[in-house]
Formats: sequence, C-alpha cells, structure tokens
Amino acid sequence: MAAQIRTVVTQTFLYLFLAVATILTLYFVMTGKGERVSVGWFLASSNPYMWACLGIGLSVSLSVVGAALGIHTTGTSIVGGGVKAPRIKTKNLISVIFCEAVAIYGLITAIVLSGQLEQFSMETALSTPAIQNTNWFSGYLIFGAGLAVGLVNLFCGIAVGIVGSGAALSDAANAALFVKILIVEIFGSAIGLFGLIVGIYMTSKSKMGDKE
Amino acid sequence: MRDTAESLSRLDRNPPYAPFYGAMGVVASSVLTSIGAAYGTAVAGSGIASTAVMRPELVMKSIIPVVMAGIIAIYGLVVSVLISGELDSSLKYSVRKGYVHLFAGVSVGVSGLAAGYAVGEVGDMGVRHMALQPRLFIGMILVLIFAEVLGLYGLIIGIYLYTVDVK
Repeated sequence: MAAQIRTVVTQTFLYLFLAVATILTLYFVMTGKGERVSVGWFLASSNPYMWACLGIGLSVSLSVVGAALGIHTTGTSIVGGGVKAPRIKTKNLISVIFCEAVAIYGLITAIVLSGQLEQFSMETALSTPAIQNTNWFSGYLIFGAGLAVGLVNLFCGIAVGIVGSGAALSDAANAALFVKILIVEIFGSAIGLFGLIVGIYMTSKSKMGDKE
Repeated sequence: MRDTAESLSRLDRNPPYAPFYGAMGVVASSVLTSIGAAYGTAVAGSGIASTAVMRPELVMKSIIPVVMAGIIAIYGLVVSVLISGELDSSLKYSVRKGYVHLFAGVSVGVSGLAAGYAVGEVGDMGVRHMALQPRLFIGMILVLIFAEVLGLYGLIIGIYLYTVDVK
C-alpha cells in the first residue's frame, strides 16, 4: 500500500518534470529563441561561488545520508539479533563505526574544500580573462570534488551497512564469524577512501582569488 | 577586426566553462565505478554472511567476489586521477578536451557499474551454492573473471581516450 503510493508519487513527479521540460524547450526552439536553451550560457553565467558552495554542501550532506542509511541497516540487525544473542551488542559496534567513518570522510572533504573558498572581485574577474577563467575553473573543481565524494560515500555507506547487518546476524549464529565478515566490511570502507582520494586530488589545482 | 574574430574563435574553442566537462568526467568515473563496487560488495557480502553460518571454513575462499568488486573501484580511481592531472583553467583547456575527458570518465564509469552489478550477483549466488557443492569454486571464479573483464574494457577505452591528443 505504501509502496504503491510511493510509486505513484515518484512517477507523477518524474513525468510532470519531463513534460514541463519538453514543453518549455520546444517553446523556445519553435519561437526562434532556440539559442537561449544553452548549457554553455548557464555554465558561464552562473557564479563560481554557487558551484563551490554546492560542492561543499553536497559532500557533507550526501556522505551523512549514506552513513545514516548504513547505520539504519546495521543497527536494526544488531538490535534484532541481540534478542537471542545479547553478546553481539558490543563487538558489532565496530560495524557502526565503519559507517560513521564514511560520514567523517565527507566532513573532512567539506572542511578542506571550504578552506579553498577565497574572495575575488567581479570587476577584476570580468576585465581579465585569465583571472575569470581561474576562478570559474576553481568553482567547477570544488563542485566536482564535493559531488564525487558525496555520491561515493552515499553508496559506500549503504554497502557497509548491508554487510554490517550480515556480520551481526552471522555473529549471532556463530561467534567466530564476525572477524571474517569484518574483512568484507573493510573492502567496502576502502571504496569511500578512494572517493576521498579523488576529491582531495582534484581540488589541489583550484585557486580562487584576485591574483593570477 | 581581425583581433575580434580571433578572440571570438578562441572563445568558441576555449569558453570559460570548458573545465566543467572535465570535472564531470572525473565525477562520472569515480562515482559510477564506486556504485558498481558498492553493489558488488554489499550483495556478495550478504551472500557470504549467509553461507558462513552453514560452512565457516569456506568464508576465506568466498571473499574473492568482494575483492573483485573492489578492483572495479580501483579502475575508476585510476581514470579519475589521470583526468584530474590534466584539468586546467580554460586558457589552456579547450572544450574539446573537456568532452574527451567527460566521455572517458563515462565509459569507465558505466562499464564499472555494469561489471560491479554482474560481479555482485554472480558472487552472491556463487558463494551460496558453493556451500552446498564446494566443487563449484572453480566455476564461480571463471564466471567472475569474465564479469570483471567487462570493467577492464571500460578502463581500456578510458585510458585510450585520455591519451588522445586534442588541443
């Protein structure tokens, strides 16, 4: 019943959005204003601060969503399996900590990225192409790094949560199995670490500000 | 007059938004391969957790699908780092380079996503049935290798596109 409502709402939104986008695009194209439907215009005229702050916000928020989904999956399994086997409750907190680490990767990235936000004056930027290009480039880089880290941590957190849930339930059945399934969780955590590496490496080139 | 024409054609090839496509290439390669790797790890991991209860001695052999899913994330990491090294402000980074890097990232990303999905499903069913019939281990490894190679194809095209010389 809830699943049906969910599908109906999702499909309504999706089809409405597609219909509006198609109608608007066709209106512009058919009335001779087709050149206004321009990705390039949007990218060039939007402010680099918008991109940079969007990247910073997305990096921490999506990572935290991933960690929360992971802790949801693991925590419910720990608590459920602990009914018949209460001994699992302290050891399986390690799985919860693995999920939390994913959120911390996002936090670290957001702090590093916000350290790269600098002020630049629009007059200098618009009069000197070199400065404008550097600032626009830095805005896109910070957005890309934040988006990459956020999305990678989102799915990594979900995966670590599912594996942690399996670890808790097999620990409840046989106490020697927890450590073996922890190895799988470590592989899952490594995915988040790869995302962090990509994010930090990508922003090493960004340089906002008034100087070239 | 000639200066204007030259600067306009330069702006046509090096618009200020050219690095956006390169950055999206990095995002595509790292995010999509990580989604595939996360799917493979989660699905194979839940299979391992189920079979470990029945046959604890087979757990170490069953971790191979998870390792192969992790390798797919490394494919995406490699292409991301390679493309990030080439990103630059649009004075030296033309929009053509941006398109090349975008689709280098997309090629390795979508291939990694599909390969991770395949490795996860094969790993899950493989370890569950290996607990019932341990001689299936070699068969599972063979199928997993073919699934992994799909991600490798994407990596090959991604690296080849990265080495294409476009100014």
